[in-house]
Amino acid sequence: MSSHEHHVIDLKYLLGAAAGLIILTILTVGASYVEIPRPFDLLTAMALAFGKATLVAAVFMGLIWDKKINTMALLFSLLFFFLMIGITLLDTLFRDRPFWIYN
Amino acid sequence: MANINATPGESHLAHHFVDSEQQFDSSKLGMWIFLVTEVLFFGGLFVAYIVYRSWNPELFYMSAKELSTIMGAINTVVLIGSSLTIALAVRAAQLNQQANISRYLIATILLACVFLVIKYFEYTSKFAVGILPGELYTYTGIDHPGAPIFFSIYYMMTGLHGIHVIIGIGLMVYLLVKTRQGSYNAAYFTPVEITALYWHLVDLIWIFLFPLLYLIE
Amino acid sequence: MSAATKDFKIREFPVEENPKEHYLNAASGLKSWLFTVDHKRIGLMYLASIIFFFFVGGLLALALRLELWEPARTFMDADTYNRVFTLHGAVMVFLFIIPSIPAALGNFFLPMMLGAKDVAFPKLNLLSFWIYSFGALFTLYSIAHGGVDTGWTFYTPYSTSTGTAVISMTLGVFIMGFSSILTGINFIVTVHKMRAPGQTWGKLPLFIWSLYATAIIQVLATPVLAITLLLLIMERTLGVGIFDPALGGDPVLYQHFFWFYSHPAVYIMIVPAFGIISEIISTFSKKTIFGYWLIALSSLAIAFTGFLVWGHHMFVSGQSELSTIIFSFLTFFVGIPTGIKILNWVATMYKGSIDMKTPMLYAMMFLFLFSIGGFTGIMLGALSVNVHLHDTYYVVAHFHYVMMGGTVFAFLAGIHYWWPKMTGKMYNELWAKIASVVLFIGFNVTFLPQFVMGSQGMPRRYYSYIEQFQTLHQTSTVGSWVLGLGFIIVGIYLTISLFSKANKASSNPWGARALEWMSSSPPPHHNFNHTPVVLHNPYDFHKPISEFRLGIDGSDNHHEHTEVAQTQPAEKS
Ligand code: HEM
Ligand SMILES: [Cu+2]
Repeated sequence: MSSHEHHVIDLKYLLGAAAGLIILTILTVGASYVEIPRPFDLLTAMALAFGKATLVAAVFMGLIWDKKINTMALLFSLLFFFLMIGITLLDTLFRDRPFWIYN
Repeated sequence: MANINATPGESHLAHHFVDSEQQFDSSKLGMWIFLVTEVLFFGGLFVAYIVYRSWNPELFYMSAKELSTIMGAINTVVLIGSSLTIALAVRAAQLNQQANISRYLIATILLACVFLVIKYFEYTSKFAVGILPGELYTYTGIDHPGAPIFFSIYYMMTGLHGIHVIIGIGLMVYLLVKTRQGSYNAAYFTPVEITALYWHLVDLIWIFLFPLLYLIE
Repeated sequence: MSAATKDFKIREFPVEENPKEHYLNAASGLKSWLFTVDHKRIGLMYLASIIFFFFVGGLLALALRLELWEPARTFMDADTYNRVFTLHGAVMVFLFIIPSIPAALGNFFLPMMLGAKDVAFPKLNLLSFWIYSFGALFTLYSIAHGGVDTGWTFYTPYSTSTGTAVISMTLGVFIMGFSSILTGINFIVTVHKMRAPGQTWGKLPLFIWSLYATAIIQVLATPVLAITLLLLIMERTLGVGIFDPALGGDPVLYQHFFWFYSHPAVYIMIVPAFGIISEIISTFSKKTIFGYWLIALSSLAIAFTGFLVWGHHMFVSGQSELSTIIFSFLTFFVGIPTGIKILNWVATMYKGSIDMKTPMLYAMMFLFLFSIGGFTGIMLGALSVNVHLHDTYYVVAHFHYVMMGGTVFAFLAGIHYWWPKMTGKMYNELWAKIASVVLFIGFNVTFLPQFVMGSQGMPRRYYSYIEQFQTLHQTSTVGSWVLGLGFIIVGIYLTISLFSKANKASSNPWGARALEWMSSSPPPHHNFNHTPVVLHNPYDFHKPISEFRLGIDGSDNHHEHTEVAQTQPAEKS
């Protein structure tokens, strides 16, 4: 029951994650100067952002070594965020379009 | 007391927990659930962002041009650095390196302040040309009927994020004081750990704000 | 989560009847209440606040009903009427019904049912009560400053332009949201980490399952309310315009945000009520609950599906036709887990030895009233029907059948069920039964006519009406007086029971099996004088009660008893 059971994150992981984050940041900025057609520009930026987020969550926040329930909590928050945005878009993207049944 | 296997010397153990592992796990889970609420709290603003961007792609493109990519990028690096230092502070606590806990906490606080200072310069340069939220918006450089909406969202998102940074600084100052009093060690470092979690979330949110607000092409 | 398996001896711990020392006299003075971290005392403080606000909201309701006595003005003007119904709605929703069952009864019984000494974060629990009180002060402030006339939904654009005290009111609601979130976090962690040895997820009382599902909704939905209200406040103070078309915004987005919270919020109101009903029906049928897992998991299913249907409040708001159809379709799904619960409750009673004590009587009334409320909800979810019924008294009747007929009747059931445990006193059974019948009659006389009026086209939130509706309105008003009378009776006999000496309650007056009944009435400061151990499902009425009173040997500082030597591994996950 002593705290020695807590995982001490290896220095090389922490520094590696930080380096990875910097590289991904440079890539993100770089990608914004490259002409990528819509919507792939946004998708690239978001993919890179999710990559960075995963690094932070997995290494800095220690989710790799942690209890699964904490990871689940994070994933749940994302699930419900995506539900919120996805369902809202069903309205806002289709505002002016009559539903086909009525035509 | 109904303490079925109290280990001697666990002075931080609150009376209603069985052992310090239960206490540590509970605090951590509690923090994670709090972070869930933070994700959904900011989530509302992200939804507004996505909806208005899908309605006005050109406006968002024009408006993002007004923001300084350099400053945004520097701030991204600053926050990443601060995430690293707070993670190192936790590590120092786990390894009982008292001096290092303080050092890394101070580094984190300084980086957080750098972030705010840069943000301050960004805000004031925008205020100067009349880029203010909503009704107060007077800037004429963007030719679009819904022009204020991007910056309304920008100020709400970065403002709320900034408030989180300030709260984080407050928490870390508190940790620093407690560290100086020798409160944290390998056997007890829960406050450091959960404050670090909070701070990483502040970083995480910025990781999404940066490309969404500054880097629209 | 402590994966370690330890060996220890367990034995029976007989319950001390009518103890001299208990949580109520463990400390005294106002400070011992206001600064307590004892979840039981915090629960009682919530209970007192909630009852107070129910009283305030109730008086406002009586005023509304009285105004509707005449088709035109009876005694207040239209403006006042708007403020009164807004305050009635806001007080009842945010100050009464959302915190009602979880914060009052949940706080008291969740740790006890888990065999824990307290919730995981007792100080946070106290903080959450203070935050609630602080938020409530804002509400009282806005009442003193002329009130609000937007309706409890604070719809933009009216809420950004009206001259009434919208900011202080929404700020109050914003603050109380944090209280709700903190309670939710506390409950989730407590259920995960503080269960008694042997109490696996499959042995949790169903009230705990329902509180757990509720806490998940609180944690996921309330932050969205917070950001919505924050944006509204910003809109009023700085004119940020996120919901203002003149500044590029969209008012319908406000409704999305608001209902993303507020539809799940109706499950924050009703799911804990389901939990109470499960406990009571099993206890008073003396029978194992039918479909334990179905009831437990349907709470989670409701929590989840509740997030997918918010747009059924917006069918005529101008949202896209595509989303109206999808929302209507999804709305029918929430009926399924709810129906599952009702079927299981009825199946539990089937061939049980039913004892119609007051709590059970309320539970029966709940089944009847909630079914009407639920079915009319499904009706309202049907797109074409909704266009006709939206914003009529039909909706008003629907939500009163679920909120009052459902939640409030379940709350009353819970209060009567646990009254002896909380206070150590037994109320007068005859008066309790009389009051419940008065309430049942009053409720139906008040709200049944509203279905009729609504389907005939009487709009809601109106101060005047055409003469054709007068009989129905007057019937409804008379019903509200009967309801008021019923609550007065409840108030009187419960108060009397507190002060009379002759009616001490035993530790387990209903012969229930859940852990809270295995402690004395009222419970000791730390809930149990030992560490309880759970072997059985809390509804195993066929097993001897002695096997529900086990605890870890040597874990108390009390006198010795005969030992039931047994070795049992403790498992928690
Ligand atoms: C069986 C599940 C339910 C369904 C399908 C359902 C459906 C609906 C629908 C479609 C409306 C919108 C009516 C309109 O404005 O046109 C509505 C309104 C409402 N429902 Fe339900 N409902 C259900 C259960 C509940 C429960 C359990 C509660 C609360 C405990 C509740 C509280 C409300 C409230 C407060 C409103 C009115 C909101 C307002 O506009 O002020 N409902 N319901
Ligand atoms: Cu709804």
